[in-house]
Amino acid sequence: MTDPAKRPGPRPVPYPQPYPKPGPGPKPGPGPKPVSGPKPAPGPHPSPASVPAPAPSPRAASGPALPLDREKLLAARLHAVRVRPYLADALFALHVVEDRSVPTMAVDAYWRVYVSPAFVALLPVEELAGVWVHEVSHLLRDHHGRGERHAREHEAYGPGERLRQNIAADFEINDDIYGDGLPRPAGAAMPGMLGLSGGLLMEEYLRTSSLSGAADLAWLDCGGGADGHARPWERGPDGAHGLSRQQRDAVRFRVAEAIRGRPGTAPQGWRRWAEQAFHPPQPWRQLLGAAVRSAVSTPGTGGDHTYRRPSRRSAGVPGVVLPSLRRTPPRVHVVIDTSGSVSDAELGSALLEVAAISRAVGGRRDLVSVISCDAAAGIAVPVCRAEGIELVGGGGTDLRSGFARALRSHHRPDVIVAFTDGQTPWPSAPPPCRTVVGLFRRPAPADDEEDPFHVPAPPAWARVVTIG
Amino acid sequence: MLDILRTTSTEPRPDEQLEALMLAVAADLPVLLWGEPGIGKTAALTQLAACLDLPLTTVIASVHEPSDFSGLPIVGEDPEARGVPMAPPRWAVELVRAGRGLLFLDELSTATPAVQAALLRVVLERRVGALRLPPAVRIVAAANPRASAADGWELSPPLANRFVHLYWVHDPDVVVRGLGGVWPRAELPRLAPERLPEAAEFARRAVCGFLLARPTLIHRLPSTETRRGGAWPSPRSWEAALTLLAFGTAAGVSRDVLALLVRGAVGDGPGLELLAHLDRMELPDPEELLADPVAAGLPERGDLRQAALESVVAAVGARPRRERWEAAWAVLARALETGAPDLLVAPATALAALRRDDWEVPEGVERLAGVIGLARRADRSVRRAESAQGGHGSAGVRR
Repeated sequence: MTDPAKRPGPRPVPYPQPYPKPGPGPKPGPGPKPVSGPKPAPGPHPSPASVPAPAPSPRAASGPALPLDREKLLAARLHAVRVRPYLADALFALHVVEDRSVPTMAVDAYWRVYVSPAFVALLPVEELAGVWVHEVSHLLRDHHGRGERHAREHEAYGPGERLRQNIAADFEINDDIYGDGLPRPAGAAMPGMLGLSGGLLMEEYLRTSSLSGAADLAWLDCGGGADGHARPWERGPDGAHGLSRQQRDAVRFRVAEAIRGRPGTAPQGWRRWAEQAFHPPQPWRQLLGAAVRSAVSTPGTGGDHTYRRPSRRSAGVPGVVLPSLRRTPPRVHVVIDTSGSVSDAELGSALLEVAAISRAVGGRRDLVSVISCDAAAGIAVPVCRAEGIELVGGGGTDLRSGFARALRSHHRPDVIVAFTDGQTPWPSAPPPCRTVVGLFRRPAPADDEEDPFHVPAPPAWARVVTIG
Repeated sequence: MLDILRTTSTEPRPDEQLEALMLAVAADLPVLLWGEPGIGKTAALTQLAACLDLPLTTVIASVHEPSDFSGLPIVGEDPEARGVPMAPPRWAVELVRAGRGLLFLDELSTATPAVQAALLRVVLERRVGALRLPPAVRIVAAANPRASAADGWELSPPLANRFVHLYWVHDPDVVVRGLGGVWPRAELPRLAPERLPEAAEFARRAVCGFLLARPTLIHRLPSTETRRGGAWPSPRSWEAALTLLAFGTAAGVSRDVLALLVRGAVGDGPGLELLAHLDRMELPDPEELLADPVAAGLPERGDLRQAALESVVAAVGARPRRERWEAAWAVLARALETGAPDLLVAPATALAALRRDDWEVPEGVERLAGVIGLARRADRSVRRAESAQGGHGSAGVRR
């Protein structure tokens, strides 16, 4: 087979476009043998505007059939495994389906990869390797499931929305999988093309940008595996060689383990994925609410049953001792890190949250106090109005003084809620009450114990909720 | 009119979550259904009770008091001599009288901590006050996830550890079809009597083998805030996983249903690891492959196939003898005939490295020449990519 073109010409694919249904009968039937000689037109699908394309051949299937250069395709997979060893399980779990109605290379939700022979002929091996990693990334990052959820939540259906989702998913992938032995294919969609910054998730791109102007972006139709909408060429859940949900989860899990097993080799984006693949972060408000509620309401504080006064039901059942539900309002002290490194906006949102929670669990407002704390603890202020909290400070932090101050106060607290960015020493012994720490997220520092500015993690006796 | 609307029929339809629920109930493990309010948890329970032919007793945990579960102390004539009996509530008495039934504890997560503590005993020891629930009584609980339970308490880790957690979600198709008058009906899993010993043996081997390899997973309290209130691994929940594995295998349920159950018993991470271990257990035995390379049945899926081939190479490496080495080449040649060649590169390289000086390359190996060519092609491509990157350097820069 002749050497394919070095550079793929612009190979954008117009979208939406009526793709021809794959012909009936089994795929690999080679049909008419390819005529040796003139190469078939690269990619049966013309680009939207730019290239004076060869007269759009009516149906791909009717053109001269180019056999799939399987060896080249697999050499590219091998290249991908060499440079991204942690993705090996996922790359090898893909099942290759040759299909001429696919514009380029596409995946479905069941881990089949559909490949157009013309596309393989067109790209050099190293760029094909990039496409392999790109396609498997859609599946690993569950873009079909997330795309479906997004479509349902926002009632965003239709070809335009599908295009946006695929672009957003491509942005999420493309900004950190290339490089390091994996060249970026020429037409890859990058957030920079729309003036967006990289490093966001698909949902964030969908939310923050209209992605308009992306319509003329050159891009790959990555198939139903990228956005959750079935394509005409896909074999569906019941076709051969599909992976069941459990098998897909197992592969994703093994890849996540492989990434976590060798920190440092995988880029940041992949490590973040591996951390969160099976435990997507929950909104901090709910976590903080649950933590405070649980601290405030465990036996000893808050509402619980008690035999101190007979139940109202007792009148009806003489001789039976019934407990009644009584609330002992908990005393909550909020220690707030007011050092310069914590922003007003962060503090404001967290404080409003605590005030709302403590009100909801029945704490009287006079039982909630706030201590602002930088290097020295300020004065405990009872919260009268949520918006009336006065915070002083701005220097360095030592939360130990805040804890000491809270515990020294006239009425011992039942619960201490501390808000900090963690740049502080912690008390060496657990305080004699429940502790919830709201930790403002900071960019992860290099893990260097030798570093004199190394920040100690919050102690194990506190329930830690990461905020933001 | 209401009669017309309430007349609905059912149709058999595979439903993984219903199947998982039935299997766990059949295995007599307490189940906790997590789901948004109004999603059809109660409807599923009603159907389950009908299917098992058990009377359904619903107890809304959040409107009860601890004494409703631990028994009401009744002060009698001579408490010091005769003690204070703990009288059980009526629903418990009726359950015991019936001898069988499905006890449904609803709204568990909004019950107060004291009620939850009292429920521990009901769920674990099956005791309500002085009464003991008969063995034929099955227990299912339901809770709203923290996100939707605005004023809920969270489940304490000891209570969470006693349940098999199933996450109940609705399938739009099923709901639409059900409102149209036809609800799905899942078949009760049937245990094949002749498979019972085999299934029990399999489950024991799977769980014990796995825990021997990963002893740190035997007991691990939930550490992060997001995992609280859910399933976590402990000897108790591993026993539940073992039971579920045995029942599931004997009933021949799909791997997806097993996955729901195992993950619901010991948590997502350990559950997924156990399932990955099951996948490995199903790989063909390397010694059998070496004994009869021509008939070697290798897995279809690429990643599993490569794992099987690597285990063959590892087996040869463990006891390197010439005929075993040659048999391994024959296995690779067989793999080349039946699957993708790129999977062979790593095992073939490792096998070639095991060669001793006086071993001659077996005849069939030249058939693997294409694999070497493929590896070289990939190498060249990697070099090209790296030199191109060194050349203008822009490709590797991220953001």
